[in-house]
This record gives sequence, structure tokens and C-alpha cells, in this order.
Amino acid sequence: MTDLLGVPPALLFGQLLVGLINGSFYAMMSLGVAIIFGMLRIGNFVHGAQYMLGAFGAWYLLRLPELLPGLGLPSLGYWWAFFIVPVVVGMIGALMERLFIRRVYDLEHAYGLLLTVGLAMVIEGLFNVAYGAAGQTYGVPDALKGGINLGFMFLPIYRAWVIGAALVICFGAWFVIERTKLGSYLRAATENPDLVRAFGINVPRMLMLTYAFGVGLAGLAGVMAAPIYQVSPQMGQSIIVTIFAVVVIGGMGSIFGAIVSGLMLGLIEGLTKVFYPEASTTVIFIIMTIVLVFRPAGLFGRETSSHTVADLSSGRVGSILENSRLWLLILAVIGAALPFVVYPIFGMKILCLALFACAYNLIFGYVGLLAFGHAAFYGSAAYVTAHAATAWGLPPEISIFLGICVSTMIGALFGWLAIRRQGLYFAMITLALAQIVYFYAVQSGWTHGEDGIQSVPRGRLFGFIDLNNSLNMYYVTLAVFLAGFAFVNRIVRSPFGRTLKSIRENEPRAISLGYHADRFKLIAFILSAMLSGVAGSMKAIIFQLASLADVFFMTSADVLLMTLIGGVGTMLGPVVGATIVAVLQREFASFGAWVVAMQGAIFVLCVLFLRKGVIGTLEEFLSNREERRHSALDEIKPMDRSPLSQTAEADAGGVR
Amino acid sequence: MSKLENNGAILTVADLHAWYGESKALHGMNFHVKPGELVTLLGRNGAGKTTALRSIMGLVRRKSGAIRFADEELSHRPAEFIARRGIAYCPEERGIFASLSVGENLELPPVIATGGMPIDEIFALFPNLKRRWSSQGTKLSGGEQQMLAIARILRTGAKFLLLDEPTEGLAPVIVQQIAAVIQRLKEQGYTLLMVEQNFRFAAKLADRYCVVEHGRVVETFRRDELDAATHKIEVYLGV
Repeated sequence: MTDLLGVPPALLFGQLLVGLINGSFYAMMSLGVAIIFGMLRIGNFVHGAQYMLGAFGAWYLLRLPELLPGLGLPSLGYWWAFFIVPVVVGMIGALMERLFIRRVYDLEHAYGLLLTVGLAMVIEGLFNVAYGAAGQTYGVPDALKGGINLGFMFLPIYRAWVIGAALVICFGAWFVIERTKLGSYLRAATENPDLVRAFGINVPRMLMLTYAFGVGLAGLAGVMAAPIYQVSPQMGQSIIVTIFAVVVIGGMGSIFGAIVSGLMLGLIEGLTKVFYPEASTTVIFIIMTIVLVFRPAGLFGRETSSHTVADLSSGRVGSILENSRLWLLILAVIGAALPFVVYPIFGMKILCLALFACAYNLIFGYVGLLAFGHAAFYGSAAYVTAHAATAWGLPPEISIFLGICVSTMIGALFGWLAIRRQGLYFAMITLALAQIVYFYAVQSGWTHGEDGIQSVPRGRLFGFIDLNNSLNMYYVTLAVFLAGFAFVNRIVRSPFGRTLKSIRENEPRAISLGYHADRFKLIAFILSAMLSGVAGSMKAIIFQLASLADVFFMTSADVLLMTLIGGVGTMLGPVVGATIVAVLQREFASFGAWVVAMQGAIFVLCVLFLRKGVIGTLEEFLSNREERRHSALDEIKPMDRSPLSQTAEADAGGVR
Repeated sequence: MSKLENNGAILTVADLHAWYGESKALHGMNFHVKPGELVTLLGRNGAGKTTALRSIMGLVRRKSGAIRFADEELSHRPAEFIARRGIAYCPEERGIFASLSVGENLELPPVIATGGMPIDEIFALFPNLKRRWSSQGTKLSGGEQQMLAIARILRTGAKFLLLDEPTEGLAPVIVQQIAAVIQRLKEQGYTLLMVEQNFRFAAKLADRYCVVEHGRVVETFRRDELDAATHKIEVYLGV
């Protein structure tokens, strides 16, 4: 047998087939994500969980007699599942849309992101409680058993079926959307839902059905995947971030782009496995990076009209809650007393998370960019610091400095790549970039894979402060936190910060005034990455550990949650939010396997009921009270409603 | 709430208030439209004319008051329900969909009643649309887009049309063409409620004129009162 390009042909074709299979699933999944994003403007992070539901649905149907004994139900095989499960999963999707997703259509993308991440955590967490990490096997249906010998390779019939069916389904969906009447309703509703309603079309119901359809596709992919991969609660989580990268490469919202790039990237991934296996998990993210540099809208994406950045800030100028000197003092006093109330290690955890959240708030709250990859900065700094202190035996201050340097450099690179996009695009891109760091940490030798870097020596700070003493460590952490907190507030109140504010409120206007908006955003992003690095480096020294959890995307979701719970764009919000999340995590720790599901529920509840965050809600209360006091004063004087003021009112309404 | 006198009107708007967020746009608007009539809402920018149309169409969420159409209360109905009752809306910004071709744009609104204008007749009225059938909707000129926006709602069988500034920003020759179309629609028995700032254009077509100021109708003129009232209207419009 002759080798092709130095590789045995059986291996080459075998991996190409695996690539094509993976590509088929990527295509079906990213098609669903693209449809949902295109029509509903929701980044459907629960897509992976819905795919998992499909696989479990097929498995349930097979085991009906065991699951519901006494009803005399038959065991329903693959073909039943193929038709029943997508419908059921689609209906579950419709219900989710009705109950949750509908509520965030008009809100900023951050809420949809957190909501769908939360829902995914709830679903996957519950299945994890029920089935653990072990995978269930699902047999190939009888009709599709066996294979064909093509001479150069053996082709299992089931795999050929998956590829064929996926292609038919994908192009069928593309045809419906691009070439039919129903599709024209969908496309029109994407552009101007109100007008389409005014033509007599029930747009809310159509959006619900669209979501159900996208979710049904995920369910179908799950059924088709069941005989190939193991049916496990984690199967969706491991694919979802890749799916989002595929959608970004194809061009967000481009149906055709999602299908083609799904298949193509599956193949490329297969080829990478043959020629350079180390890169096979990251190759998609690397391609995404390259695509973003040359075609920011994606391969098939149309350049969308410029989105404005998100202005979620609930801070109020001049409020007592924004008085940085006062609160720096109060926080210093509370912080100094804290180790006498709680364990110092818990206090340090709060301080670390609070600093991390302050750093995140700088980019999310004050610039309005929905970053979703801050785990990369936090985690890389933690790893570098841990490695420098452990393997090189460097003193803590040098280790921390090195960690911060690395996170700042990564921040500069990621920022440069991502800054040209906004909104959900920005979130996807930062997420995918962070994922490269994650997979690097998984594979690289010096990070010790699953174990992480353990037993990091705390050492002596500047040679004389023994950090092994937990109170010493605590007060150093407090000092670092206070410095970080003051630094962020200094930035926000500087001319630079005011420019950021003007960009957040009206970017085109800021640009027309001569500001290089992108440069300002990039600097803020780098500062945010740097401060996240400070938090990550401190964390590595405090807990004497750097692990995969630090770079995992849930860390990015956690920091977003902390900022939201506390109050976006407020001075105290991140601190309050970090405290709440740290306390909740500690309380939940005793629930064992339920933690993930409960944390997910917190995400969902926070999006539904606490959108302004604690500080934002407090600000609202304070400003209402102030207003009431003013109007009480006004009532003493007779109200003077001149016709002039009425005109102004009507004008303000009319010009909308 | 003021009493709803049903003096043969097909649409009665009574004591209509509407808000956009915190700011109030309509302050108790009252007017009615009789079947086959063309009523024009005149008024300055920001007076609340567009808001009135949007409220009738169910596109303004915060509102109070009564909107009766063909003996049915519509003020609490969603837009899709109102459209199915036979009211069609042509927005000020025309609302041509960029991701749809001219043909798809034209065929987008579902037919809600029989008696809509057949496609041949639409082509006779707007020959340009036939020629540009497969172009992207927003590649049309402003005048063509306006024609597409009007043509689009004639197909559906709706007999009550809300037109928001159909002549805004168009060349005089196009304005004449649109005036001819509207005249023809009147002859065919359509009922029209039109917002217009171009008083000279509206003067030739309308049966009645409602002057809107500060979110309410401050005065109404019939066409036969026009000569006497022209000066007054010009004062209202500030021209």
C-alpha cells in the first residue's frame, strides 16, 4: 500500500470520514444556532443541552418498558426516535421560548446570553445528577448495520446515512428560508417585526415556532449522534462552543454560511488529526481568528449595520453610592475587619472575585462591550504565576508580575482581534479566543492537564512578608484589591473614562468628534485584561492552585453574573455581586451534584427578576425617593404648566 | 371617556392618549372617518400624527382611549389582529425589506379578504415594479419604494388604508403620480386616513382635514370650507 503525503490512506480516509461526520453535526447544529440568531437575535447557548436532550430522548424511547413498567409500552427504536424526538424537543423549545426567552428579546444581548447559559446549566446539571458522567450506549439500527468496502477504506453504512441525511436536512432548511413564502416572512420579521405584524402576521408565534424549529434540529442531531457518540449529559457542553465558532466563521445569521463552514471545518479538523493531532481541538478557533482578521463579518456574512454598544449602566452621577473616596474608606474598614468575622481564605476569595468583577465591569459596564472570554486572562495569569512560583521558584511578586504581563499581552491580542465587532459578535469572538487558551491549557505539559498546578508556594513577598501566614496573605490581598478598585474608579473618572462614556452612549457621535473610538475601547479592554490578570495571579498564590476551571468559559459566565447581580456600570456593583456569588457558591457546595443546576437557576432568576442588580435597584429607589421629595416641594407652589412645556412634551413624543 | 357617537363612521377615535416611554405623544385625540372618505391629518412635526396612525394599527403599546373600527373595539388588540380586520398601513419610512426582492416585498402581506387588487392592475398602476421584480427591495429609488409600499397593501383586500406621508422627499413628478393613484383608490371605494405635511398635495385629494396640535385634533374642515380656512390652516402649519 502506498502512502499519501506520508500517511497511510486508511488513516487519512478514516479521519476524513470522522471529520465529515463531525462536520455534519456541526452543520446541523450551527444551522439551528444561525436560524435562531438571525431571526430572534438570541445566541442560543442552550443549544448543546437541547442536542443532549435529543440523544437522551432516543435512549429513553428505547428503554420505555424499563422506564415506565406496567404500562405495557413497547421499546421504540431508532426510526421512531428519528421522527418523535425532534418534535418533542422542539416542543420543549417552544415552551422555553414562551416562558423565558421571549422576555429578553427587547433586552441587551447580555441577558439572553446569561439566560441561555443558565438554562443550559439547569438542564445539563439535572441530567448530571441523574446519570453522572458515565455515557450510555445506543446501538446502530439494524437496517443501517454493516458497511461497504470501498477498496481504499471501509465505510460503515450508518455513517454514510448520517452524512446524507444531514445534508438533505440542512439544504432543505436553507431552501425553506431563502426560497419560500414562509422564509420571506421570517426574513422580513427579522428586519422589522412591527411592520410584519401590521400586515397581519402573528410574529410572536412565528418566532416561537422558529425557535422550536432550531431546537428541533438540535434534537434531531442528538438522535443521529446517539449511535455514534456516547449518550452523556456532557455531550452538548463539549460541542456548543465549537458550534458558536463555526457560526462566527460562517457569518452570524448566515444560514448557508453555517452549513458550508460546518462541513468544511469538520473536514479540516479531521485532516488536522492526521497531520498535526495536537492542534485538532483548537484548529477551528484558530481558523476563526484568521477569518476575523480578514473578513470580520465571517465568510458568508453580510456586513451588518453597525450595532451600538450596550448601555446597561445603572450608575447615577452624583449618587452617594458613586462617591469613590467615601466607599474606598468604607471598603477598607470592612475589609480590615472581615478576617475576624469569616475565615481569611473565604475573605480572600471574595476579594479576588470582586477585583475580577471590577476589571470586567470596566469593559462591560463602562465601555458597554459584552466580553465573554475573561476566563482567558484570569486563568492564564493564574497558570503563569503558579508555574513561575512552582517550577522556577521565583518570589511571589515576580511571579505575579509575570502573570499580569502575560494576561495583558493576551488581552492586547484578543482585544485587537475582537474590538471591531460589538454586541453578541463580540461575545462570541472573545469566547472562542478564550477557548484557544483553554484547550492549550488542557494539552500543554506544563499546565498538568486535569490536575492543574498544585501546591504553589506562597513564599515571602519582597523577601520579608511571609505569605504562608494567612492574615499576612489576607491583608496583602486586601491592599491589592483596594488598589485595583481605586485604579478602576480613577480611570472611569478621568478624561479617558469620560471619553469611554461618550463612546458608550453614542459611538458615531464620538467618532465624528474626532475620537478614535476603537483605540479607546482597545485600551480599556487591555486594562480590563490586565486587572483580571491581577485577580488571577493573586488567586494562584492564595489558593496555591491554578486549574482548568480558571480558564473554562464558566468563569467568564460567572464574572458576568457577578457584575449583573451587583449592578452593571456602578462602582459598588461588582463588589456586591462578587460577595453574593461567593456566599452562594459556599452555601451550595454542600448540595454536591446539584450545584450546577442551582447555579444555572440563579442565572435565570437574576435575568428575569434582578436585571438592574442590587446596586442598580438601590439607585432606582434612591432616585425615586429624591424625586418624591422634589415633587413634594413642588406641590407647595402652585403647579405652573404653561402651554410651552406641553409643546415640548408633545414634541419629545412625536419625533420618535 | 367621551361618548362614542356612531354617525355612520367606520373608524372612530375617542379620547386617545399614547406614550412613548415616559413622554406622552397623544393627549386625548378625537376624530372619525366615514366609509369611502379620505381624511388627512395635518400638523407640524411632532404634533402626534404618526403616533395616531401607529396607535390605530396597534403598534404603540402604551395607550388609552377608544379606537372603534366597524363596530369593534381595537385599542387592546395586537397589530396582527387589527390587520386581519381590514386595515393596512404604509409607514412613513416605507418599510421596504432589504433582505427581500421587490417581488417578495410585494407578495409579503397575506391576503386577508377577497377583492384585493389583482397583480395585473398593480402593474398597470406601477409599471416600474414589474421591471424591477427581482431586484433587492432597497435598491429601488425613493419614489419606486413608495410605490412598492403602497402597492404592497393594495393586494391584500384591505379597504381601509393608513398612509403616512406618502409624498415625503419625492420629486414633483412622482408626487403627481401618487396623487393619481390615490384619486383612483378613492374612486374604487377605498377609505383612506392620510398623514401629510404637503398641504397643497392633500388639498386636492382629501374630503376632510383634521388639524393636529399637541397630540389632539384642534380643528376639522370639510373640503368646501377650505377656501375660507386656508389662511387658518397655514397659521397652524406655520407656513
